[in-house]
Amino acid sequence: MSTGSLHDDVRLIEADAAPNRFARGWHCLGLTRDFGDGAPHQVNAFGQKLVVFRGGDGEINILDSYCRHMGGDLSQGQVKGNEIACPFHDWRWGGDGRCKKVPYSRRVPRLARTATWPTLEQDGMLFVWNDPERSAPPAEVTIPRIEGATSDKWTDWHWYTTVVNTNCREIIDNVVDMAHFYYIHGSLPTHFKNIFEGHVATQYMKSGSRPDIDDPEGVKLLGTTSLASYHGPSFMIDDLTYHYESADQRTVLINCHYPIDANSFVLQYGIVVEKSEFLPEELAVQTAHALGDFVKMGFEQDVEIWRSKARIDNPLLVEEDGPVYQLRRWYEQFYVDVADVTPDMVDRFEFELDTTRPSEAWMKEVEDNMAAKASVSGTVG
Amino acid sequence: MTLRADNRLADAPMTAVHCRRCATQVLVRKSSWDQTSVQWNALATASCIERSTAQRLAAYGGHGSFLRCSELGASIADAVRRGVLPVVEESSPRSGS
Repeated sequence: MSTGSLHDDVRLIEADAAPNRFARGWHCLGLTRDFGDGAPHQVNAFGQKLVVFRGGDGEINILDSYCRHMGGDLSQGQVKGNEIACPFHDWRWGGDGRCKKVPYSRRVPRLARTATWPTLEQDGMLFVWNDPERSAPPAEVTIPRIEGATSDKWTDWHWYTTVVNTNCREIIDNVVDMAHFYYIHGSLPTHFKNIFEGHVATQYMKSGSRPDIDDPEGVKLLGTTSLASYHGPSFMIDDLTYHYESADQRTVLINCHYPIDANSFVLQYGIVVEKSEFLPEELAVQTAHALGDFVKMGFEQDVEIWRSKARIDNPLLVEEDGPVYQLRRWYEQFYVDVADVTPDMVDRFEFELDTTRPSEAWMKEVEDNMAAKASVSGTVG
Repeated sequence: MTLRADNRLADAPMTAVHCRRCATQVLVRKSSWDQTSVQWNALATASCIERSTAQRLAAYGGHGSFLRCSELGASIADAVRRGVLPVVEESSPRSGS
């Protein structure tokens, strides 16, 4: 027996280490109501410790949490006026990153400037712009407004936060994973589509209801339509509509994350539900909670897989799998300098699965066509 | 990260298809009767008439997501009918049997 040839045809898993560079783009840190109370808040993100605080002027600021004086942790300090005061020697830092005052000194040192992150408060959420090149956020990659988020006709945010101990690329891969919707979300896609274009990655899905899963409270669910897009590397808006016999029920599901470091991230999801004559306030809130629990269950199953799986750069795919490689190519644009973004990372790519077309009829048509062609060429030849 | 190629493309690469309406050329691959992949480039997205119409409408409160070009969809179906665009699941198992 030759042991030398045993491994020749073994498929090897290849994987570079998870990058220590963090994605360029807007990242949602959570709900503004949790950050905007006037106290400093510590956020571990992008491999650093940040301090988030709302100054007396109402502005929310994000600074590197370590004081440039002697390294005190500003997130343990106090907000004084529009500034954050270090708990160590009371140095005051403004939202623009400049040291405004050293209470026991007549002047502040030259070059007394610390790192800041651009912020965006929108639809009840707080966003931070990360860019290793430290450029300002371009307008064209801003986060779209969410219709239901600020409307009395919709519920308030129902929000979850949890820490996941793996690199955040794992959650991005879900965009193309069709099969897991059946197993995890109990839906039967009749139409599935991915579109990657520019900084947006979209997943469109139409599902019928599954006969083996009971409808809630005897109301007949005909199916769901989901249009979910990542706007940049980490923030997904899912317009998710439930089609009941009586009416459509609109919901918006946010799925977002920010990296703590190369091997962990904070996963958050939020839900708002439209109220209606069929779904008054209380029922709409219940629906939001129920949907939240359902999503939570799905992610918990994902997390269980992520806990022990290997990072893999060369997944071995069959025709029935989604466009994993094309998605990773799209995702790579956020990990290189703007000048190094190549057309193939941002060019439009579509992957579509439509099971509603009668393929047998089509197949027959093609065969007839080919046969006709063959007979014509036979006559000519 | 080193970006790797999709192993499925090695067996059956993408095929150029022209849109019958605006002559845009894209690369297409059908793994089955139900599945279609379309790779556009900047020139193709710029010249697609349906796409630019959809974008103008999006400015008036539409969603902004351009899901598909129906003319291109029809052109792809046509390419399959004419036998110039192979369907992978139809061609590969048969060649082995």
